[in-house]
Amino acid sequence: MKKKIAMLLAACMIFSVTACGETASTGDAPAETKQEDAKEASPEAVGNGELTYASVVLGESYTDLNTTITVFNHRTDMDSDDYGGVTWKEYLAEFNKMYPGINVEITTDTNYADDALTHLQSGDYETIMMIPHIDKADLSNYFMPYGTLDEMSKLVNYASQWSYDGMCYGVPSTATAQGIVYNKKVFADAGVTELPKTPSEFIDALKKIKENTDAIPLYTNYAAGWTMGAWDVYIGVNATGDSEYINRKLAHTKDPFKDYGDDTHAYAVYKILYDAVSEGLIEDDYTTTDWEGSKGMLNNGEIGCMVLGSWSYPQMEAAGPNAADIGYMPFPITVNGKQYSISAPDYNFGINANATEEEKEAAMVFIKWMTEKSGFYYNEDGLPIVVGNTETKLAFDGVEFLEDEPAVEGEEDFINLLNSDSELNINSGGNTKIQQLVEHAANKDKSFDDIMKEWNDAWTDAQELNSIEVTE
Amino acid sequence: MEKSYKEKAVKKSFWKTRKGQQLLTMGMFLVIPLTLLVVFTYYPFAEMVKFSFYKMKYSTPVDKRVFVGFQNYIDVFKRDDCFGALRLSLYYMVGALIQLVLALYFATILSFKAKGGNLFKGLMFFPYLINGIAIGFIFKFFYTRGFVLDTVLHVLGASYENLPYWLKDQNINNWSLVATSVWRYFGQNMVLFIGAIMSVDDTLYEAAALDGANKPQIFKHIILPSIKTIVTLNVILSITGSLSSFEQPYVITNGANGTGTYFVIMNEIAHVSQKVGLASAMAVVLLLIIFVCTILQKLFFKYVFREAKD
Repeated sequence: MKKKIAMLLAACMIFSVTACGETASTGDAPAETKQEDAKEASPEAVGNGELTYASVVLGESYTDLNTTITVFNHRTDMDSDDYGGVTWKEYLAEFNKMYPGINVEITTDTNYADDALTHLQSGDYETIMMIPHIDKADLSNYFMPYGTLDEMSKLVNYASQWSYDGMCYGVPSTATAQGIVYNKKVFADAGVTELPKTPSEFIDALKKIKENTDAIPLYTNYAAGWTMGAWDVYIGVNATGDSEYINRKLAHTKDPFKDYGDDTHAYAVYKILYDAVSEGLIEDDYTTTDWEGSKGMLNNGEIGCMVLGSWSYPQMEAAGPNAADIGYMPFPITVNGKQYSISAPDYNFGINANATEEEKEAAMVFIKWMTEKSGFYYNEDGLPIVVGNTETKLAFDGVEFLEDEPAVEGEEDFINLLNSDSELNINSGGNTKIQQLVEHAANKDKSFDDIMKEWNDAWTDAQELNSIEVTE
Repeated sequence: MEKSYKEKAVKKSFWKTRKGQQLLTMGMFLVIPLTLLVVFTYYPFAEMVKFSFYKMKYSTPVDKRVFVGFQNYIDVFKRDDCFGALRLSLYYMVGALIQLVLALYFATILSFKAKGGNLFKGLMFFPYLINGIAIGFIFKFFYTRGFVLDTVLHVLGASYENLPYWLKDQNINNWSLVATSVWRYFGQNMVLFIGAIMSVDDTLYEAAALDGANKPQIFKHIILPSIKTIVTLNVILSITGSLSSFEQPYVITNGANGTGTYFVIMNEIAHVSQKVGLASAMAVVLLLIIFVCTILQKLFFKYVFREAKD
């Protein structure tokens, strides 16, 4: 009995000692590493000596770091050895050549957008996450800053995507353009010689496909849901040619879904879809569409085109033997004689604000390596992330690329608030409203203008609820 | 001196008395289940009720949540989509009744000696064992134009032009979904009924047979009264189940095209629009509706039962 008590006591003491040790070390860690940084005199660790994106020099800083970091992301396809491009395994092997001490464990998830929020909410989440849809005001609760926005915009494109209060919290994994992925052969067979540049030209092209070929002119992928929400992206730069539209003007616009009369703005974007559905230019039974299957169908010429971002381009090429038939064209809206495309960052890497200092350092190194050395964006047919780099596989002749300007300071949350209160959820999973638009177009039970009026009303109510100033 | 010693002895001995020991044992055994129940059921539920009075998103930190009183509840009653979705439950309730009748019918047949009875029991119970998500995917392809169902009907002589779009046509798609629900759950109901019928005393059947009763009479006067409790229970479970149907519409149609049941709409509001307060209020309202339904059914069966007595 006494022995047992003694053992218990000993165990307790050991446990409490280690516990103390742990808290002590985590508490002191920042100070220690700060000093070490200064001592090692890495040339970039300037000023306050804090860990920033700029202070990391790949191959020089933190080369003796020995730690394990976890990464949570949405690229389940890159987990598979069958993946046509470069897999996560291959990236990690390459990374470990430069940083053998940093062990990176990658978890991927098919339901990433939802599950990532759950992970964040639980408080116990991975070292590196692709930042999901959260309010910008909450960024600093979950993620550590990479540095000031000024400093970061000199290093990476799209730094403003996840910035708040002048600090930058996200570095994009890759960037995409927005247009339409199509089958060149189907368009040629149908007699469409020139790519359509306006909504009416586009609808005509779809009609020609329907008349002259067996292909489905436009495949909506209605059942998948998110493929419908993808239409929201086009209402910004593509439909207005205005880089301030989405983040600065939309929140203050009165009736943003009204008919501008010149085939531009949101009205024109959604009308393309409505017209295509009501004229029977889409798949026969849209409720049973199959996303995975649609890739092969486009590749084999059974589908004319799909309205998806340029990220889908490599997947369509890889889905069958006819990679050369696949093309990517600008969205058919012309603003004052010119076509525009938004270039937008894909998911951003964010670093867990509650990770240990060592993990944060390793995460910073890994993200900088992914951005500058891995070639990830190029392999994925994206647009470059590092400022000044122009290498890319995409070619949009005569199309001007614009980036969305960030919201004005103090108004960062406006779009999120309006999205939530109006339940239109523009660019944030608002699939239902567009699915309903397709239903109404197919069943012919509500006119397009009525739907746009409803959306305008919802938007106006939300603007009033949040007392946001509205201009004509 | 002596007195205090005595007092001490009395105090000490309470936990050693039979009663004390009983209490102690009971307490010890109850601690674990009660803790689990409170931590994983009542506490989260209380939190949800609290959420329903706030305007908040999942990611809103606690100090930034805005208290809005009963506004969320008012919204639940004002919005078309919340209560409109409850109308869809009527489809599922009709389905539930069909399901119970089918289950009772097969249970009665199978509880008498039928050829291959066990095989049929197995086959009919089998769908219940399949994961709901898998069933969703099976039926998504089952209903796809030109796939399983259409092919089978075509073989039976229907022409493709006359066949409806099972999921696209808004007059039919809810029935399609209800059918999958019936297919999945009726086996479970049936097994419960068989269990109850098995427990009926055999001598009653013998006596009935001697008296010259036929099978429908045996069913009406012996089987049905004996398994009344199980029937009542199954009806209540099916009706509450149809109020909260979720899996079939969520997996097969994603709640689109007029198939969004109350739960699907709630999920959409909570996870897409991030109106956690409103969704919590919807959950509480549904709970109250289920309470009311259950009480009404209890009263109804009490009434029926009394009539039978008279």
